[in-house]
Amino acid sequence: MISAFIHKFSSPKSFVKITKTLYPFLIFIGLSMLIVGWVWGLLFAPQDAVQGNSYRIIFLHVPAVIYAELIYFFMALCALMHLVWRVKLAAYLIKSAAPIGAMITFIGLFSGSVWGIPTWGTWWQWDARITSTLILFIMYLGILTLHGSFSNLEKSDRLMSILVVIGVVNIPIIKKSVDWWSTLHQPASISVSGGSSIDPSMLYPLLISIIGLGFTLISLGILSSRSYILGREKNKKWVSEYV
Amino acid sequence: MFDLAFNNLNEILAMDGHGVYVWSVYSIAISIIVASFLIAKNKIKGVKRKIKIKNAPS
Repeated sequence: MISAFIHKFSSPKSFVKITKTLYPFLIFIGLSMLIVGWVWGLLFAPQDAVQGNSYRIIFLHVPAVIYAELIYFFMALCALMHLVWRVKLAAYLIKSAAPIGAMITFIGLFSGSVWGIPTWGTWWQWDARITSTLILFIMYLGILTLHGSFSNLEKSDRLMSILVVIGVVNIPIIKKSVDWWSTLHQPASISVSGGSSIDPSMLYPLLISIIGLGFTLISLGILSSRSYILGREKNKKWVSEYV
Repeated sequence: MFDLAFNNLNEILAMDGHGVYVWSVYSIAISIIVASFLIAKNKIKGVKRKIKIKNAPS
């Protein structure tokens, strides 16, 4: 039953068509919220009492690292769908999401590094959170390399999904690293369950940037998956009709 | 909450000496994201062109 349901709603054809309709709305919401969040954070939010103006990197750094982890989590769910129910679309989505994950993890690491220069006096520290995030970046690259190294694409899809599932152990390690080890990296300032240790004048632009970057990355994912799906299914009739 | 945190453009650019870090991080990140969109759009075009050529009656 579940399997029939999943297969009905996971046809690459309907995915491409539905996401094409959604794309203009998602990109509009994403970019406008990102602009509002960043202009607010960069120009209007008050200066931080301890870090001065360098803290303004937070409006880029925190959204970036949130999606560095969330995209991996999304890929892990897709990997399970692919391994358990043999959903082809799930494998296509992993392959399309991995470069975006690598890109945003790089931005997270890079922005953190530059933030470290004025704040910690160093751009790099082999601290638990930074190291586990670097491992995440390498995982993304590894997943892409693995997928590219077989000529049999179905085999690539399966092995890639297995690697994604194995790599998911890294996600709770990143999340908990600031609590388990004593690190240079500060613990989380915002919390879903309430009790954020950050003033509303900084919290609101941060939340807007987080949502804005989310929609922007989903839009990028739609474009990236469209080219990959069309390429993979190029011999199917629906693709000839679509282009 | 909606007052500018700076008095003029020079202050915005300088950010008390932190401007070089803040602005370089944002400009590089924005360039990377914009480039990703352009690459993704180009790829779609490329794939569509290939499929059209393949399907063209010879």
